[in-house]
Amino acid sequence: MSTKEKNVDLVKWSGPKRPYDLLKNLVFTLIPLTALVVAFALAFGSPDVRAVTLQDWAQAAPTDFVMTATGELAGTTRSASYGPPYNNGSEGQALGPLKLQKLLGVHIPIDPANDFVVEPLKSSREASVYTTLGQWAGANADQQSKLATDYTAAQNAGLSAALGQWTSASTDQQIKWATQYKAALERAGDRLKVAADPAYGPVQIMTASLLALAQGGILDGILTTESSPYPSDFTKPLLFLADGEYLGKLASTHHLEDGQMGMINETGSYPGQFWLLPLALLYQVDPFKSSENVDAQVFAVIVLLALGLAFCPKIPVLNRLPRLIPLHRVIWRNYYRKNNL
Amino acid sequence: MALLAVSLNGPAKYLYWGSISISVPNLIMIGLIVLFFALALVIPFPKEKGK
Repeated sequence: MSTKEKNVDLVKWSGPKRPYDLLKNLVFTLIPLTALVVAFALAFGSPDVRAVTLQDWAQAAPTDFVMTATGELAGTTRSASYGPPYNNGSEGQALGPLKLQKLLGVHIPIDPANDFVVEPLKSSREASVYTTLGQWAGANADQQSKLATDYTAAQNAGLSAALGQWTSASTDQQIKWATQYKAALERAGDRLKVAADPAYGPVQIMTASLLALAQGGILDGILTTESSPYPSDFTKPLLFLADGEYLGKLASTHHLEDGQMGMINETGSYPGQFWLLPLALLYQVDPFKSSENVDAQVFAVIVLLALGLAFCPKIPVLNRLPRLIPLHRVIWRNYYRKNNL
Repeated sequence: MALLAVSLNGPAKYLYWGSISISVPNLIMIGLIVLFFALALVIPFPKEKGK
């Protein structure tokens, strides 16, 4: 690199100049763009697929819900083995010797068995949540009162005993009950076809009670308002939902799964985040596709590319690209023509 | 929504190439970007008055 090139930023510009009105440019850009945005919004609207709730899941796929809740109790779900930031179920994504996920630590602690199943059941026992179930709508005030008292008492007694049995058992015993019930559910394929069996301990009652809570829409509330009365943190319900098969199947129909380059897609026929195409493409090719650390590796490649872009003027060959592909000469063709350059 | 002139809530068409797939709406957007880039290259700058 010559001395002249090195000091190019310090040399005062002596070439031709032209006036430039920044405010005029801004106004003339902003007005048509705003009009375009409004016109497009009126013409096409925006994606309006309703958010999936635990209630939707429990009502549409009760067996999948119960199987997932049992999996949470057995500690076999994806949430249970996710690792940081939720738990120590695994070390998570690493980049060679650099254990990136572990380095960040467990800063959103989640114990799926307790957080998704046991604690919601405990908190629901004290409120008369079961009054929302049963034959409430068709009863008069007296009947409703009796129905509520009877139903709550019966449910609470059974659930209290089940929770007591669960919490006083050893971890090994808990896992044994849940694993056996999960295997029975997988064999039967329908929760209603699995007969009561002491081998399942209290798991059958607990998961059936959790299903009732979810079907009534109460579990959504419990999992989102634990830390704040204003539900804004959906980490727990989302993790729980993602552990089941229901959400994955829905994502698949909307072309939003990993293997479908879902990150660049949007529901319906709306264009999605197509600017993430390079990122999505990396996930589809080896060695990334078959790697356990795909996220960390793709992240590293993107960081390298970003650094390459930032330091482009300093990188040999790359900084000569404008000479090989003189696109700038097309843009500023008048200047180059006038000055015979 | 009934007010919308064009409903885009129906399923999109996808084009496949091995394990790579892209939706037609995304392809249209990418095509538009390339088109606008090409237009920006060839359309002359507006000339200042009096110049």
